[in-house]
Amino acid sequence: MLTLKMFLNGQEVSVDVEPGELLADVLRDKLGLIGTKISCGEGECGACTVLVDGKAVDSCLYPVLKAQGREVITIEGLGQDNRLDTIQQAFVDKTAPQCGYCIPGMVISAKALLDENPHPTRKEIEEGISGNLCRCTGYYQIIEAIELACERLAEEGGTG
Amino acid sequence: MSSKVVGQSVPKIDAATKVRGQRKFPQDFNMEGQLYAKVVWSEYPHARVSKIDLSQAEALPGVVAILTSKDVPVNEYGINIMDQPVLVGEGEKVRWLGDRIAIVIAESEKIAQEARQLVRVEYEPLPVVTDPREAMKPDAPLIHEERGDSNILKHIKIRKGDIEKGFAEADVIIESYYLTPHVEHAYMQPEAGVGYIDEQGRVTVIAAAQWSHDDLHQISHMLDLPLDQVREIVPAIGGAFGGREDMYIQHLLALCAYCVRRPVKMVFDREESVMRTGKRHPYYMKYKWGATRAGKLTAMEMEIISDAGAYASTSVPVLSNSASFAAGPYVVPNAKVDAYTVYTNNAVTMAMRGFGSTQPPVAYESQMNKLAEALGMDPVELRMKNLLEDGSIALTGNPMPPGVGVKETLRQTALAAGWKEEDGVWIKPGPGLPSAPYKRRGIGVACGYKNVGYSFGFDDKTRAIVELALDESGEIARALVKLGASDQGMGAHTALAQIAAEALGIDYEKVRVALVDTSVVPDAGSCSASRHVYMSGNAVIRACQEAARKREEAIQRGERRVSAEYEYHGRSVRPTTPYDDENGMCDPHIGYGYASQIALVEVDVGTGQTEVLKVWAAQDVGKAINPEMVKGQAGGGVHMGLGYALTEEFIQKEGLIKTRRFSEYHIPTVADMPREFIPLIVEVPDPTGPYGAKGVGEMTTLPTAPAIISAIHDAVGVWIDNLPATAEKVWRAMQVRS
Repeated sequence: MLTLKMFLNGQEVSVDVEPGELLADVLRDKLGLIGTKISCGEGECGACTVLVDGKAVDSCLYPVLKAQGREVITIEGLGQDNRLDTIQQAFVDKTAPQCGYCIPGMVISAKALLDENPHPTRKEIEEGISGNLCRCTGYYQIIEAIELACERLAEEGGTG
Repeated sequence: MSSKVVGQSVPKIDAATKVRGQRKFPQDFNMEGQLYAKVVWSEYPHARVSKIDLSQAEALPGVVAILTSKDVPVNEYGINIMDQPVLVGEGEKVRWLGDRIAIVIAESEKIAQEARQLVRVEYEPLPVVTDPREAMKPDAPLIHEERGDSNILKHIKIRKGDIEKGFAEADVIIESYYLTPHVEHAYMQPEAGVGYIDEQGRVTVIAAAQWSHDDLHQISHMLDLPLDQVREIVPAIGGAFGGREDMYIQHLLALCAYCVRRPVKMVFDREESVMRTGKRHPYYMKYKWGATRAGKLTAMEMEIISDAGAYASTSVPVLSNSASFAAGPYVVPNAKVDAYTVYTNNAVTMAMRGFGSTQPPVAYESQMNKLAEALGMDPVELRMKNLLEDGSIALTGNPMPPGVGVKETLRQTALAAGWKEEDGVWIKPGPGLPSAPYKRRGIGVACGYKNVGYSFGFDDKTRAIVELALDESGEIARALVKLGASDQGMGAHTALAQIAAEALGIDYEKVRVALVDTSVVPDAGSCSASRHVYMSGNAVIRACQEAARKREEAIQRGERRVSAEYEYHGRSVRPTTPYDDENGMCDPHIGYGYASQIALVEVDVGTGQTEVLKVWAAQDVGKAINPEMVKGQAGGGVHMGLGYALTEEFIQKEGLIKTRRFSEYHIPTVADMPREFIPLIVEVPDPTGPYGAKGVGEMTTLPTAPAIISAIHDAVGVWIDNLPATAEKVWRAMQVRS
């Protein structure tokens, strides 16, 4: 057992882990952050996407020890208190979630994209979520939600 | 009455918790002191189990119990016919790779995983049959000896008019043979859940399910317990599409809890979800259609063979649907249908979005497009001459009930896609210039229709309770709708809350829909057959009307709580009847929904690769309770239809499953979807629907594949009658043609 320290959703966290454990399992089973979903277990679907030092990664493939000393943001780290962040609110307003299992990963991928590129083209949005599978929506309302979030973030003058 | 809530795209009732990651799915539940279970799966598609040796597994520290067939009080289950063993014991047969030998229960998931690999099972392999056309033959190996001397599970016959006379009247006859593949539901949330004994001693399961009250019947039968001693709770469902209508984990969790009397958690990984659970039926469809030079259909002869896989599941009702829709949404005076569903050693096949109405359009719409080409007639115009209208006599001899909107969906789609119409003559637009000299463009059209609610004399019903809390002045402060209607994600609970708000004349925000917990909510039937808006919506309206009446009395008495209940039966408005054994005539369905789509594609002539550039999709939903949710269903329907047409291949060889995960089973990514998508909502009301509403979810996927197939033909001149139209298949067909 090793003690891992990371900055998780803005707070320093220590957790005992075994070498070889995966970030997704530690988040879900040891830290109770169930918003990160596991679906394919092989990095194909993006349901487990989290941010590590601002980059979107598949946490179901990410060795937890690599997160040592890094900043990790999960879906629980977005928004404040009971307020949704801009991207989350846009997903609600555009009826983007259906079953919702892919949605935390989609929102995190959208955040990674917009943090880096606040004014993406339609094609760049598609590329930004091309690693996230959804079986319900056909992706259209998800794309619309990200477009709406871009507009609102531009009005707010930040990247939420 | 002008509607205030119905017809508005209000936010989905669970959207905010879903975007926060707070909404709990079955794998998100953990209980104090829980154990972990793993299944020991069959290794053969057809074999007799000769020996099960648990000794090594049992010796592993941390293993709590290993359940085998001896531990199952009544070792059988099945949604339609109880032909499935829960666990296969020594001396018994496995019939596909999804059969189970044992369940290992341990203190940790890791130990359970390790222990299941230590269970030694010896098999005597038996002859395997995987092609239903072979399995139908009298000398084929029998899959279920106990069920008679044939693998044919059901044969449905329809005999209408005189097909010989009809073909003699035809100027053009088109004959083709169509094959559609197995399809994996590929919901994002793999099967998972927890089984435990609740505080009242009930065997309780938390899992995703489409029809909890039916699961209860099967679980109580399996455990030989009274119904009130079992309970199922359904949290958020991570997609279902028919795949959770049968039990794949619910009964296993119940058995674990029943045997060890402690909470037991089980989570399937993606490989288990893909390899060990049911699929959409593959179909083999032989079609012969005739039409006059003027474009009137005169005769149809169809043979449909469906691969039921190892167990019946809902193969018989799925086939029943297919036979009734075999002619497509067209009037034909003379028809003959022979439809069969046959046991094989392939994956179990079951409900999947369309329930037997998804395979026939691949055949019937390609037939229409081929006829149009042979007649030199526009494909929209040919359809307009033959499409069903109110009162038209359908294939099964019944008049179509009011609200037939298929022509309107086709008219709106065609006009949106650039067709011109003058005096009944339709002219197709050009597909535009290809993006590269080695690419060709094409445009294709297709229609589809499907039943809403359960058919063929089944007493489809839904029961709803509405509870009101009144404020001091007697106004409704809150309303709670209780019914066992699962919401797979499409928004059933949102739509039902809107319907309740409308019926009560209150704000949507004041309505809540109870979590499905069979100890609290009444049976509302399955979340399938695109039925909850129609069936449960009708029940909710009536329960609300009753609650409103009771509210007046409550105010008189100074009471603040009101509760009302209503059970709605589909037969109260439209009784349905089963097939006549000899000629198949019947009144099959309660209601219908309709759709038309047009696809614009570009095919790379060097590789055969097809890109879908644009889809126009019109669905007649009667009344859009929530237009944005309808558009969401359209997008999802096109997604599945596009995968069906082009990319999704579930490969089995001699009963062994070769497709195991998402890297091998290609559901469309955002990059595969048409860049342009034009959903069109058509509202031809069904007078019996809530506010005129019909069903939505399934119809949106029916026309996609045949529209794409037709567009590929328009682009490069080849018909792909064997889905999916992979690049290789298209390229090879082009080589043969040239």
